[in-house]
Amino acid sequence: MDFSYPPEVEQFRKELRAWLAANLTDDVVAAGRRRGRDPDTFETLRVWDATLADAGWAPVSWPQAYGGRGATVLEQLAYAEETTDARAPVPLNVIGMNNIAPAIMQYGTDAQKLELLPRMVRADDIWCQGMSEPEAGSDLASLRTRAVLDGDDYVVNGQKIWTSLGHRADWCQLYVRTDPDAPKHTGISCLIVDMALPGIEVRPLVTLNGDADFAEVFFNDVRVPADALLGPLNGGWQVATTTLSHERAGAARLYAQLEVQLRDLVADLADCEVDGRPVLEDSATLRRLGEVAVRIKYLEVLCQRSISATLHGGNALGSASLAKSVWAEVGQELAALAFDVLGPLGGHRRWSDRRLTSRSLTIAGGTTQINKSVTATRVLGLPRR
Amino acid sequence: MNLELTDEQVALRDTVRRYLSEKASVTTHVRPMLDDPMGTTREVWAGLAALGATGVLVPQEYGGSAMTMVEAGVVAEELGAALHPGPWLSSAVAATRALTRLVTPEDGALLLTGIADGSTVATVGPLTGPRPTAEGRVVRGDVAALPDAAVAGVVLVLAEDGRGTGLFAIDATSAGVSVTERTHVDQTRKLFDATFDDVPAQRLASPSADDIGGLVDDVLIAYAADALGAATAVMNLAVDYAKVRRQFDQPIGSFQAVQHLCVDMYETVELARSGVLHALWAADAAPPERHLAAVRAKAFAGQLATVADTAIQVFGGIGYTWEHDAHLYLKRLLGWSAFLGGSDKYLQEVGRQLAMAVSS
Repeated sequence: MDFSYPPEVEQFRKELRAWLAANLTDDVVAAGRRRGRDPDTFETLRVWDATLADAGWAPVSWPQAYGGRGATVLEQLAYAEETTDARAPVPLNVIGMNNIAPAIMQYGTDAQKLELLPRMVRADDIWCQGMSEPEAGSDLASLRTRAVLDGDDYVVNGQKIWTSLGHRADWCQLYVRTDPDAPKHTGISCLIVDMALPGIEVRPLVTLNGDADFAEVFFNDVRVPADALLGPLNGGWQVATTTLSHERAGAARLYAQLEVQLRDLVADLADCEVDGRPVLEDSATLRRLGEVAVRIKYLEVLCQRSISATLHGGNALGSASLAKSVWAEVGQELAALAFDVLGPLGGHRRWSDRRLTSRSLTIAGGTTQINKSVTATRVLGLPRR
Repeated sequence: MNLELTDEQVALRDTVRRYLSEKASVTTHVRPMLDDPMGTTREVWAGLAALGATGVLVPQEYGGSAMTMVEAGVVAEELGAALHPGPWLSSAVAATRALTRLVTPEDGALLLTGIADGSTVATVGPLTGPRPTAEGRVVRGDVAALPDAAVAGVVLVLAEDGRGTGLFAIDATSAGVSVTERTHVDQTRKLFDATFDDVPAQRLASPSADDIGGLVDDVLIAYAADALGAATAVMNLAVDYAKVRRQFDQPIGSFQAVQHLCVDMYETVELARSGVLHALWAADAAPPERHLAAVRAKAFAGQLATVADTAIQVFGGIGYTWEHDAHLYLKRLLGWSAFLGGSDKYLQEVGRQLAMAVSS
């Protein structure tokens, strides 16, 4: 058993750390905190993503042909740890890079790969994913947006919702029903849609804390060229599950992000007093910090176990999907702790904001309840109803 | 970065598992021993020694297999899964590590040889709290909650004398040694209050506070592995039950409410397994990480005990009976939770260490 990283990975880490120290400015970090919610910070983040890509530091796991550097799994882990630790912004196209690009690499034509992928990495194009619908949330396979072939075009009608970056996107990876008579999982196809096409209407959705993070997207007789099909006709579920399994491989950012948040929280708490006593001498607060800290460390090891199993042929036993549930729950505990202590003192906008936005952690990307049901049947072997 | 067990570690696990299921199962060994202060039989203990389980941490020159805490953890997990009531943690971990960490090889040789071949059972105390005093070659005072004192032939006592803290070896049959069994939540672990009334003792070492801290860490980490084994076992029993117990014409494991209870157990067990693996590795391979890893494992003990609570909920009424084994697992986990102080104290310690790390 060995938890240490091999020397070549430490070398990779050293180079990346040096590059980040030289290039990552406070402005970029601040823009990352705002997640590009206003036009200025959005532009700052675009420039940063391009800088990172041009220097060969994004996306490290991809093949060189598409702008990557073919990093090993452990290098990817070190990459996630270092970029998070340095508080580098999450790429604007994080969903595109994690969830859409793998499907393009697997099913796309050479022309699509070479044209679309490098522009995605540099954030020259912004991507969104059209999956959920008002009547297809957790039950994604019941989606109703229709695409009917008419000559050389698919004619698309329907509505998507919770579409992250929908109001900023140039491209959409869209899931549509192409065979209404087939069983629900087998009648779905995947299209790559230019968001500038006539008939697409986007309405930003304002979230509980007042930000427009995602959108509703309406398709009204939108004519999409037939060669926009990604993967086999009626094989969209396959394409979707490819992307979902890639999403889970990026578990390292989960614990690294919580570790950074925890350190920031403790730093903020260090200056605070309640009833004339330093908060960091209060046993109840220390206890809650301890609870969160233990779970974050164990989440880190859980993610490492998942990666070790991939590398050495062990049994991951669903540890990646477990990691997602734990990450969500601990993220909410951390936000609750921060607000419970700092909220009454006022002036800590970041943490009251976090308290609100942490609600999404157990919903976005699949609810914790759905995740648990999947773990129950697939990992524990409990019977389905 | 390789967190998988080696083929040798898997073989060790399987050997111990098979032995315990054949010779020391809950029905044939653990239950008969619940009211027996010895905790195990000569025959079962000799069998464990023959497998190499008592000498796993003993150097080869004294008949052991000189393995690391990772292998000790493999054994501990199986013993916990089988609720083994014998003095393995005391003799094969606490005493062995006291002798290898704190004592020169020459002075520890005889005891280590006996521990490895099973002819000697030793225990150590007190790991924390007030210590007896020593004067010359005599120890006097009390040790509270000393594990396995009835079966142990040798007690290694940490006592204070004019030279600071010393580690003393006491023959448990000496005049002046009296032990009284302590009732506590876990009948699969034997605890005693010991009194030493001017008992002859051999001074083996003058350990520093760091040495003693390292020993306590080792014991906590091995105990955590034992608890992980117990939690895994009771979870598996409950999940298997949920697959076959039928109500409303279906297995109860098909109901989401029950499924989610099972996944809650699984999540807690896998988090604990993560912590235990890291701590077992750190114990020998990364000393700077060892102490915090041990404190974390102890801090998680309260949460780990909820696995048995949830298992009993899945079993329903039958899980609340004496006849069913679930309560034995709950008690094993509560015993770990109460060992050397409750989880709250350790959670606060993790918080304090974090606050110190961020401020420096």
